[in-house]
Amino acid sequence: MWTFLRRRLVTSAVSLVGVIVVVFFLARLTGSPASLYLPESATQEQIDEFNRINGLDQPLLVQFWDFLVGAVRLDFGASIWQRRPALEAALDALPPTLALAGIALALSLIIALALGAIAAVYRFRLPDRVITVVTLTISSIPDFWFALVGILIFAVQMGLVPTSGYATPAAWILPTATVMLAPVGVLTQVVRGSMIDALGAGYVQNARARGFDKTRLVLRHAMRNASLPIVSVAGDRAAGMVNGSIIVGSVFAFPGIGVLIMGAVLNRDFAVIQASVFVVGVGVILVNIVVDALYAVIDPRVRVSAGKAK
Amino acid sequence: MIRSRRTRWVGSALAVVGVTALVAGCSANETSAAPDRDLTIVLASEPVSLDPCDTQDAANAQVLRANVLESLTRIDAETGEVVPLLAESWESSDDNRTWTFDLKEGVEFHDGEPFDAAAAAASIDRVLNTDIGCGNGTTDQFPYEVSIEVVDEQTLQLTSAEPDGIFPLRMTYIDLASPATPTDAKTEDPIGTGPFTVGEVVQGQSITLEPFDAYWGEQPEATGVTYVYRTEPTVRASMIATGEADLAVPIAAADATDDDRTREYSDNRVFFLRTQTNKPPFNDPRVREAVHYAIDRETITGALMERSGLPYDQIVAPTVNGYIDDFEGPSFDPDRAAQLLAEAAADGVAVDTTVELVTRPDLFPGSDEVMQSIAQNLQDAGFSIQFRSLDTDAWLQLLRKPFPAEQVPNILAISHDNISGDASFTYPKYVASSGTNSTLENADIDALIAEAETKSGDERAALFQQASRLLYEEDFAIVPVALQTKLLKLAPGIEYEPNGLTGVELRIGDISFTG
Repeated sequence: MWTFLRRRLVTSAVSLVGVIVVVFFLARLTGSPASLYLPESATQEQIDEFNRINGLDQPLLVQFWDFLVGAVRLDFGASIWQRRPALEAALDALPPTLALAGIALALSLIIALALGAIAAVYRFRLPDRVITVVTLTISSIPDFWFALVGILIFAVQMGLVPTSGYATPAAWILPTATVMLAPVGVLTQVVRGSMIDALGAGYVQNARARGFDKTRLVLRHAMRNASLPIVSVAGDRAAGMVNGSIIVGSVFAFPGIGVLIMGAVLNRDFAVIQASVFVVGVGVILVNIVVDALYAVIDPRVRVSAGKAK
Repeated sequence: MIRSRRTRWVGSALAVVGVTALVAGCSANETSAAPDRDLTIVLASEPVSLDPCDTQDAANAQVLRANVLESLTRIDAETGEVVPLLAESWESSDDNRTWTFDLKEGVEFHDGEPFDAAAAAASIDRVLNTDIGCGNGTTDQFPYEVSIEVVDEQTLQLTSAEPDGIFPLRMTYIDLASPATPTDAKTEDPIGTGPFTVGEVVQGQSITLEPFDAYWGEQPEATGVTYVYRTEPTVRASMIATGEADLAVPIAAADATDDDRTREYSDNRVFFLRTQTNKPPFNDPRVREAVHYAIDRETITGALMERSGLPYDQIVAPTVNGYIDDFEGPSFDPDRAAQLLAEAAADGVAVDTTVELVTRPDLFPGSDEVMQSIAQNLQDAGFSIQFRSLDTDAWLQLLRKPFPAEQVPNILAISHDNISGDASFTYPKYVASSGTNSTLENADIDALIAEAETKSGDERAALFQQASRLLYEEDFAIVPVALQTKLLKLAPGIEYEPNGLTGVELRIGDISFTG
């Protein structure tokens, strides 16, 4: 198990370095910060001075080296846009994203497990058809459209929730629903599929023939065996929540790392782009490790094979 | 059994709600003597900096200026004139270089420090002479050195290195802050003399303003202000509908209502085209004039800009002194455009040269559609047009000198605002031969602008207007298309009359309660 974790950490670190190197150069393709921060009529001296203060007058490879040296010490430099350490800006944006992603993912899983199990038990009958059509429709709705129409229906017309914001619990309802759209649809289908497989397996048929309680059989035994694909898709969706946080950030003014990255790109704040991508990268790696660890918990065969690989 | 327990729980919950409502009702009655005058204003973007020297940025200024911070002088939004604010009066030397400001007495900063000549001098020095990167100091607001002298407690003397007829106007850009403001770094705690102090700041969420009881002027009706930010215009407008906000600035035309709750205002912004006069075919004035006749301004503004633009034929808004009252520009006449092109072609001008029509998608909302329609107009008149919508950086490369020699001749779309009321914030940059953003090479216009800059008052305005007339009737390098307008929305019970400064100075003192 520990060898397995250690190996995962090393390969993950390699991909993390790869990602931040690519981001370093991609960020610089967005253009010069000087033309954004200085007025249209800025003189060449003002532009040179701005670049000197922000270290942008150095050759690209020198900037890259400085960045690597800083990154090793977790120093990503100062934000031009927010005038504070870039890593601090990224870490400040993390808690709302984590909270929203956690709640949305937990609710998505609960709904998907319930609907998926019902659909699998009533395979090809009316409940299955209804659940499939509804969940596929939901997951096909574009999130930005749902967000705006959701505001018009639930806030403006019905007055049930505030249009936007972050401070009150009611304000979390629409953003949570928005980021849940795609996961609910996809996870329900995954649960349905793997439950159908599990319910068709010999041991379940056997148990049913022996008169086991059906509900108990579905929830205890089939569900556990069906959960591997569910965990891996849920892990994938957890990483995708960063994208969802861009939509809820720009529409609902719900703070988070996605909207911070978007703001940093628009403001050509290279330091914040790099620090945020680093933070997100670490987050994705942690999620993947947790998913792998869950595999081992759920399926003893994974533990055995990981041990053998030593 | 289970059911009865649930009923009881619901019953007691209802009782709690009832009691809460009663208590809430009572307290509402008690406070009705001093009614709730708290405003919530939803803006498009959050201030980037709260430093008193960064109010050049509209997002910062909209919150701070006139509410938290004040300057020596201010622009009267109705007349466009410069009027006293923290200065009682001022006079200039004959050469328009030395300006003596008599300061208002009995004014106090939020931290209790008295406002006097020394405090004003320190504040102006911080903006102009420190290298902490002050937004107001590094721009072209002050194109020369200024020396600052404290004459006595209430008298401040400022001397500019060059004659300047509009020095008091430039002083509207310098917001004065307490001597306690650090001079070696930016601050997030602006201490001014305005009717409000900055209360709680939650980054990314909100800023609240609290009333300053020792304010020298008339206290605004509002007893507190909360600013929130929403990027989506539809969300801003929705917040008025749900009662979450009292004022939404700005909103999109699609969210406008026909009642008096939607208000239209000009932010003194003009959308115009700039032809590249140093390249054929635009080196021939007839070809430039043809562009003026080719564009169907009525249809473009009416169908594509809805309530965001009016057809326009000058480069500055009516509040700017370079505006000519009785001028009427060329109307839509494609036949006349074709005729001018034919005349130029007969004289050997290569009018069939492919010309790039260059814009950027964020010029204004819906600008790409407008520009495509203009491309069609120009093609109909006989131009050979290549349409290009560039990102801001690439667009800026074409806007500013030096223009690359190998560049294809272009017509560049520009949206330029001038809220100062003075043409010197437009003409030297866009019209004079030496201007960084100018394609003109017109010595007569240059002479008029240079002379105007040393004069003040009516004389100054008359000279700028002469330059305008030459630009519109002889040179034709700049083709105005539309005077841009914006919309805002008010909640019931709130009154506010937007003006040309609303985009940069949203005075809480101008907002009143009718409910």
